[in-house]
Amino acid sequence: MQTTFVDLDVRPILRAGGEPFQQIMETVAALNPGQGLRLFATFKPAPLFAVLGSKGFSYEATELEGGDWEVLFQPTHAASGTESPSSISIADSSNWPDPLQELDNRALDPPEPMVRILAATEAMKEGEVLSALLCREPIFLLPELAKRGHAWRGGFEPDGKTYKILVRVGAAKKAAA
Amino acid sequence: MIGASLSRWTMSYFAAALLALVAAEVLMAVGYGFPRAALGAPETLILVHVVAIGWLSLLMCGALFQFLPVLLARPLYSDTLPLPALLSLVAGLVTLILGFLQLAGRADPKFPFFALGGLLLGLGFALVLWNLARTLVAAQAVPLPARFVTIGLVSVAATAAFGIIFALVLGGVTAYEPFVALTGAGLPLHIIAGIGGWLTFTAMGVSYRLLAMFMLAPELDRPSTKATLYLGAAALAIAILGGTMTILLRGDLSIVLLGAGGAGLLGLALYGGDVVHLYRARKRPHIELNSRMAAFAFASLAAAIVMIASLLAIGNLADQVGAVVFLVAFGWLSGLGLAQLYKIVAFLTWLECYGPVLGKAQTPRVQDLVVEARANKWFQLYFLAVWAGTVALIASYSLIFQLTAAAMLIATSGIIAQFVRTRRLADVKAAIRLPQGVQVPRLLHSLSHQT
Repeated sequence: MQTTFVDLDVRPILRAGGEPFQQIMETVAALNPGQGLRLFATFKPAPLFAVLGSKGFSYEATELEGGDWEVLFQPTHAASGTESPSSISIADSSNWPDPLQELDNRALDPPEPMVRILAATEAMKEGEVLSALLCREPIFLLPELAKRGHAWRGGFEPDGKTYKILVRVGAAKKAAA
Repeated sequence: MIGASLSRWTMSYFAAALLALVAAEVLMAVGYGFPRAALGAPETLILVHVVAIGWLSLLMCGALFQFLPVLLARPLYSDTLPLPALLSLVAGLVTLILGFLQLAGRADPKFPFFALGGLLLGLGFALVLWNLARTLVAAQAVPLPARFVTIGLVSVAATAAFGIIFALVLGGVTAYEPFVALTGAGLPLHIIAGIGGWLTFTAMGVSYRLLAMFMLAPELDRPSTKATLYLGAAALAIAILGGTMTILLRGDLSIVLLGAGGAGLLGLALYGGDVVHLYRARKRPHIELNSRMAAFAFASLAAAIVMIASLLAIGNLADQVGAVVFLVAFGWLSGLGLAQLYKIVAFLTWLECYGPVLGKAQTPRVQDLVVEARANKWFQLYFLAVWAGTVALIASYSLIFQLTAAAMLIATSGIIAQFVRTRRLADVKAAIRLPQGVQVPRLLHSLSHQT
């Protein structure tokens, strides 16, 4: 099995002039053994390489179309048999407020889960958090959240079947404030 | 970017592919090629390549540009390369057809159509493969359906390599002994790599995910699915690699093909079990038209397998290979393709138009873009015509076959008209059709609205 990765997109924060360093370190601290971090940034985050290198992560940076960067941080001593599905221990991974709304979208026909999440975020205030359960990774939702300036964290629960996503509304503007 | 976005040129591939399907059905309806001409006649070769490259391969390429990123949760390596690839493939197909006409004495014998066609098709497929392979390599994890696709991509490379060798030999460009030997005996390998490896194996991989997604069934990752992958890969390796070696060493190809056929049939049987399991384990009681019609395609595949096994048992496969290939190409591959296009066109159009305004304005549902009752009759006519056509081919009634081909043409035209209506949002209620910020999409390509 390959290393599983937790995704963190700090581009909304960077574009709004914010400083994502603390959030990155919190996310790294919350990684399970054997888990890696997939980071999205608007520039090649060279200073991080040394910082996370000292914490035992190797890195692999790729430039994406449009000048953004994707960096994979892999634990160098990753156990070869990390069979557990990718998941985030959401409770201690952040200073985000508790979810204001919790949606269970697991039984909905696609693309209804995406429609409900976007509709709910439109009705929420900046900084508020929405939690949703899905039965698969919401491939088409993620770019739409990024476009609307919302931050998100997501991953499969330990059962490997339920995907839990947290969306923080307008995190880009929040970070700038 | 993480996740997947709209593939810009997928609709262009679909449009070109559907045009080729209509052209092939017109040819069959007027009696061009098999069964009025022999299986190996230039007219039949033209028909076969219009179907295999023009319709099925373009459909598959267009679908993979959109779907492989979804399987891998990664963006496509390049959203630009698909256009030159499409132009190269279409130009290559036209040139190849001119080469076959040359073979039939109907085109200028001096112009090197075969060499040029082989070059253009090779370039087109190379561009497609490069783009998809780069996307695959960049992925962190390759889920099971994408592994089927990987084997399919290796197979299309093998198919194209055989085709180019045939074209170079037939075009008189080379008389290199091994190439001549392959051209003489390698046709079954070209067909197996193309229909079995590239089209069928890729379609199987993609169908695992599409069926699970549209019917809310669990993703399959069970032993039978893995066994299907390994058996299929083994069958293709035996046929393509073993077959090539056998031809070059002048051995008996039939033994190799029998071995490959055994592994292949076993793999297909396991796949059948998986598909039945997906339909049974679904959480959605009422499934949509695409999943209902896909069941007819699976039935066609099952019928084709039974036909192959029975014909092998009575030693008569060679006489009925035309009917078998027809059922596989039109019942299974085209049937599955048309059925899933019905959903894919609606979903991609919905996402392109309404994705940016979801939650901000009242928007239609995906199902509001289609009218299933209207499409249903065309699909039923299509499958009935294909099955009747298969029977007509078995019984050697060419005139009845032409009539069934005409019925397929009518049915396909009806289905295409539904695709166009979906793309134009023609069936969406006026009140919610165009909220502020929404435009009617282009018919032939998608506008990406990435910021």
